[in-house]
Amino acid sequence: MKHIVKRAGHTEPFDAKKLYASIFAACLAMREPVGTAEVVAEKVSTDVEVWIEKKSEVLSNDIRRVAAKHLYAYNPDAAYAYMHHRIVW
Amino acid sequence: MYKLKSKRPTHFDFDLIIIGSGAGGGVTAHIAAGQQKKVAIIEADTIGGECPNYGCVPTKALLQAAETYQSAKHAGQFGIKTTDVSFSYSAVNAWREKAVFRTGVEDGREAYKSDGITVLRGHAHFLSPWQISLSGKRYTARNFLIATGTRNVVPPIEGLKETGYITYREAIALKSPPKSIFIIGGGAIGCEFAQLFWSFESKVHIADFDKRLLAREDSEVGELVGAIFEQRGIGVHVNSKVLNVSGSKGNKTVTLETGGRRHSIVVEEVLLAAGKAPNLDLGLDNAGVNFDRRGLKVNLQMQTNVKHIYAAGDVVGPFMFTHMAAYQSRIAVHNMYQKKKVSANYHAVPRCTFISPEVSSVGPSEQELRDKGIKLQVGTAEISIIGRANTSNESTGFVKVLASKTGVLLGASIVSPRAGEMIHELTLAIHKGLKARDIVETIHAFPTWSEAVRVACTRIKCP
Repeated sequence: MKHIVKRAGHTEPFDAKKLYASIFAACLAMREPVGTAEVVAEKVSTDVEVWIEKKSEVLSNDIRRVAAKHLYAYNPDAAYAYMHHRIVW
Repeated sequence: MYKLKSKRPTHFDFDLIIIGSGAGGGVTAHIAAGQQKKVAIIEADTIGGECPNYGCVPTKALLQAAETYQSAKHAGQFGIKTTDVSFSYSAVNAWREKAVFRTGVEDGREAYKSDGITVLRGHAHFLSPWQISLSGKRYTARNFLIATGTRNVVPPIEGLKETGYITYREAIALKSPPKSIFIIGGGAIGCEFAQLFWSFESKVHIADFDKRLLAREDSEVGELVGAIFEQRGIGVHVNSKVLNVSGSKGNKTVTLETGGRRHSIVVEEVLLAAGKAPNLDLGLDNAGVNFDRRGLKVNLQMQTNVKHIYAAGDVVGPFMFTHMAAYQSRIAVHNMYQKKKVSANYHAVPRCTFISPEVSSVGPSEQELRDKGIKLQVGTAEISIIGRANTSNESTGFVKVLASKTGVLLGASIVSPRAGEMIHELTLAIHKGLKARDIVETIHAFPTWSEAVRVACTRIKCP
């Protein structure tokens, strides 16, 4: 079980669905078609899951940074929004 | 952005946690433990790191076997009769394994334990500047040393990943030499494997986008090495861009562009030696440590911007050598625990490429010095004029020394048998700021290759 250390200091199990949802939302916010947003969210989530496989515990900020890095390859605007304006939508 | 919880703990699990057990980490661990520090060393891969397991030691063992095979084949020139000279590559591999075994790296864990060093396995991840997470546990330390080394760079070549390739890690452990091999990258690693597989009778191609092999060295070095390789029948493709790799296992087609002309080469195997990138996936942002794609940023005391976190070895640069990592580690551990600080000095770093003849160099290249506006004297001696060249029947190579207008030695390059040994006289001279005259006035034994160093220095004026 991979754990995420939250800002307040407590830990939560890594939730790939939650990550998928936030990437999907970021893509939609940047006017990506739903189908494309689904594909991108799936790919980025997989990339992050591969990355986290070797870790036992990371910060939620690590997840955000790594996800944004991978998302940048597909949609730089969505990556920027995801990294800096996470709570807008 | 996230605000780091970076309050210094009041209790620490260790005095020092070292991430990486290669030359950078190992040296520091033993020195710190010798000073009664409580030390932990973390390794995610093989204990001992690249050099003894996959790098210097196995490749040099293989190259020794290759050189011996070639010497036996050409022994007739000295009146030695040999018949049916052949090799057993499984026996060559057994020799390589023996050389690796004798480094003691297999017992590395025990060596650490006997020094009271805790060995931890897994991928370390910083949670704060004082704490790392590893395999479900958290550890704090007063100091950290990051010595995580590098990984292979995979250039964006179409079809490369899909078709498959090997790196130096796989290349050292092949069950037999490939019938033909295409090496992407004409640096030291690429050239050494070209030498190795050519010696064991593979058809070898080597390519680099630069205009010569060993592009970081003085131009004469790379040009001579390229000419020697071509003379041996190695396909040297400089100024070349690999565009595409296709095919299947054992039958791969490499398409490259050389001087605007596209051509394809079919080989059994493709070896990737196109450079290395630092291993930085450690949660460095959580520790607040500065880095860029080239590596961690450290000062000359090997300290990062976070004062209690040090770094050494390939992850720092500027030279990716075992001897450099060990040097930087000694500086790091000294500065952690001594009041009087010491600084790294990179002006006399020896570099060797173990091909035949060997290549070595020290100090900046001629171009680097000229770019800085330094007025230079250049002294060169062909090794063919040296007595040893006659008695060894080897005449290809040279010694080149670079000196200031006043004759102070600044840099040198050697292509010669035993160049790796010869370079240290010049390394000492450059390190100590000696003049060419100091070498000229030193008696050199006859007949040694080192006489060429002295002859090259006679061509420098020392007013």
